[in-house]
Amino acid sequence: MMAAVVFFAVAFLAFLGALALVFHRHPMVAGLGMALSTLSIGVLYVLLRVPFLGLFQAIIYAGAVMVIVLYIVMALGQEETGPRVGSVQTGLTYVAAALLLLQFYWAIVRSGAGPFPEGSALPPVTAGGTNYAFGTIQAFGSLLVSHYSVPFEVASLLLVGAMVGAVILSRRSWS
Amino acid sequence: MTITLGHYLILAVFLFTVGIIGALTRKSAIIVFLSIELMLNAANVVFMAMGRYFGQLDGAVFVLFILAVSAAEAAVGVAIVVAFIRRRGTTDIDAANLMKW
Repeated sequence: MMAAVVFFAVAFLAFLGALALVFHRHPMVAGLGMALSTLSIGVLYVLLRVPFLGLFQAIIYAGAVMVIVLYIVMALGQEETGPRVGSVQTGLTYVAAALLLLQFYWAIVRSGAGPFPEGSALPPVTAGGTNYAFGTIQAFGSLLVSHYSVPFEVASLLLVGAMVGAVILSRRSWS
Repeated sequence: MTITLGHYLILAVFLFTVGIIGALTRKSAIIVFLSIELMLNAANVVFMAMGRYFGQLDGAVFVLFILAVSAAEAAVGVAIVVAFIRRRGTTDIDAANLMKW
């Protein structure tokens, strides 16, 4: 019961933040709406029994990414532009979005997606030959360095590449 | 009332749809970028809910990788927006018409 109340409150906040991002004219309010949305999604991760990813979400998304973006908004982008109205592209977008929503809603309701397994119905996670309880950071870390070690290294390569790319893009002589 | 997998999936679909509307109708490059991040977040919610449903942590590992990708995207994206503002003096994506035919 308690989890249901928390879920609906957090889902409402996430959706509210998303609406503020897309439909509010002022870029600062839009950025703060995105921060609210990402924080609420982090709470959802805690509800889904993977609490440290909720912390990662709060630190990386609502912390690092949103600070960079809000800094850009404060430093450079003060123009207030709402959504486009009246063009063909806007109309097509709303029609496509409504169709997508209906299609997914229909599919999800028909799929009969049931409640989550609890207690003994939630089996332990096997990583690197050892069993761990679901959602513990031991299980996550063991999985990351055993089965997902190559993607982990590729992710670090990607981050280095992005860092170098950002430095090159912001060279003064580039402009 | 029990929260089922369907609740999470429907929330993710709503977030994804709002993100699509933002990415396709807004003019400011920063808002378009944030809308794409919102769609990534909706996909993350699906990964986490499905992983919890099937008792696997692989979904959570993928969420971590998506977090890394979107952090890289944020660094490069913000650098591109800054370079664009320096050249054109605006964040309006309609001003990015150099390669338009």
